[in-house]
Amino acid sequence: MRILSTLFFKEIRSLFFSPVAWVVLAMVMLINGLSFHAAVAMLESGPQSQSIVALTFFSRWFWLSYFFIFPLLTMRLFAEERKMGTYETLFTAPVHTWQVVLAKFSAAMFFYCLLWLPSLGNFHLFQFMTKGATEIPQGQIIGSYLLLFFLGLFNIAAGCFASALTSNQIVAAALSFTISLLHFLLGVFVLYLGAGVPPLFQGFVHYFATVEHIPSFTNGLLDTRPLVYYSSLMIVFLALTHHVLEFRRWRL
Amino acid sequence: MIEVNSLTKQYAGRTAVDGLTFSVEAGQCVGFLGPNGAGKSTTMRILAGYLSPTSGTARVNGFDVFHESIKARQSIGYMPENAPLYLDMRVNEYLHFRGALKGLRGRELRKRGDDVMEACGLTASKRKIIATLSKGFRQRVALADALISRPPLLILDEPSNGLDPLQMRHIRELLAELRPEQTILLSTHLLGEVEQSCDRVLLIHRGQICADDSPRNLVRKLRAATDVKLELQGQGPFDEELAKISGVRKITERKADGDWKRFTLRVEARADVRAAIFEVALQKQWHIRELHRELPSLEDVFVELTEGK
Repeated sequence: MRILSTLFFKEIRSLFFSPVAWVVLAMVMLINGLSFHAAVAMLESGPQSQSIVALTFFSRWFWLSYFFIFPLLTMRLFAEERKMGTYETLFTAPVHTWQVVLAKFSAAMFFYCLLWLPSLGNFHLFQFMTKGATEIPQGQIIGSYLLLFFLGLFNIAAGCFASALTSNQIVAAALSFTISLLHFLLGVFVLYLGAGVPPLFQGFVHYFATVEHIPSFTNGLLDTRPLVYYSSLMIVFLALTHHVLEFRRWRL
Repeated sequence: MIEVNSLTKQYAGRTAVDGLTFSVEAGQCVGFLGPNGAGKSTTMRILAGYLSPTSGTARVNGFDVFHESIKARQSIGYMPENAPLYLDMRVNEYLHFRGALKGLRGRELRKRGDDVMEACGLTASKRKIIATLSKGFRQRVALADALISRPPLLILDEPSNGLDPLQMRHIRELLAELRPEQTILLSTHLLGEVEQSCDRVLLIHRGQICADDSPRNLVRKLRAATDVKLELQGQGPFDEELAKISGVRKITERKADGDWKRFTLRVEARADVRAAIFEVALQKQWHIRELHRELPSLEDVFVELTEGK
């Protein structure tokens, strides 16, 4: 446990000492501001059937950040160590591989959660500015942020895996971007564009299409199926990462 | 401390380490010597638990490096080649991080951190960011990291690689201080280093051990010819008389200052002609102002053993 926390705080430290973290934070805040602005503009234009929370998370701006956060946060995790050779010092210290994987994953996850905090402030600021004229449904807030958290679990685990595969951060970023994008687009294409797709397959895709999960969660409906789905994917990718790292030791 | 049994490591069809068997007793300082690509680093990486052997076993402090990897790693202070470090950390931060990973806590961690920084001459630069340090200082940080948890075994992969002579001497002195109790396995291709710091040499070539002895014995056993140098003054002809001494193979003459002459005699292995030369000089009433034998350096041994194969 102590080794885990030592590794975790070291990761957090190097995250905040690298410019990437700050650039990502600034960009996410900018994009969140834009999507919030879009939501407010919608509300200004006339009465809406949806709340400000749902409007924010449905705006096009919002998804812009979804695709670049994960590659940028995870690309350096393992690839940099491999490139610098510190891989060797790290794995010759008396630490288990799973401790390293878990520490790096949780550090990236911690920063990811931090990224969304300012956007939470937007809603409260809005309520304060409008002197409570707008209702911010708590259920919708909880649902949206819970979904974001679970999306993070899956995507960051996939990013860890991509980073463990290579010593080149660009390659790691490209891989993790591809995984996130493919997973997302599969749902979009099949459900919205797939005229010729057999209905059976369409029904199947419903279970893992992120675009299908968003409406229910942003309306405050906590469906446990996607949560189980994303956490299972996280476990799969973390296990794969662990195996990639252990492979060095098992290769004969 | 180390027991290696028919250790073999193959990379994609190339055999890096080929059936290596050796053991190291506690308290020994063993020099792993060999040309580049001989398999030194691979062997050390296997011992440190970074790679796995293709076949064979290795035990460190009684723990199998593969099956009881964590326990084996706890017994080792490993310094990899080229001292990879986290460049964005400060020296003391890095050492505290590494110490904590190796199980040190609280006051003990701080004390050991200070101790190793003191021992490695890093106290003055403990607040410096590692990226700003020179190669020599980075090597010291890596060495301090290897020492921090007082491991019973130190494995140092080319500790003096890329250092200037002064820094090399510094590392050598540091190792000498640790010597009596500490078990050390260090690899190098610098012969002087082995001659000065090790009680035992493992000469490794193409993944196999081709010599295992003390540096002095290794040199003595060698069938290479030695050189005797002398400076003479008096009535010649010198070379004719000197050539009569048994064991002298070749004589080269050079003029020294004044009427002194300088000779280099190539002498058969294991023959000592110095007393005979003195006898001749006494008879002929020559003056001698220099007479000494130059033992073949480990370098000669090295070249002989590795080129012969």
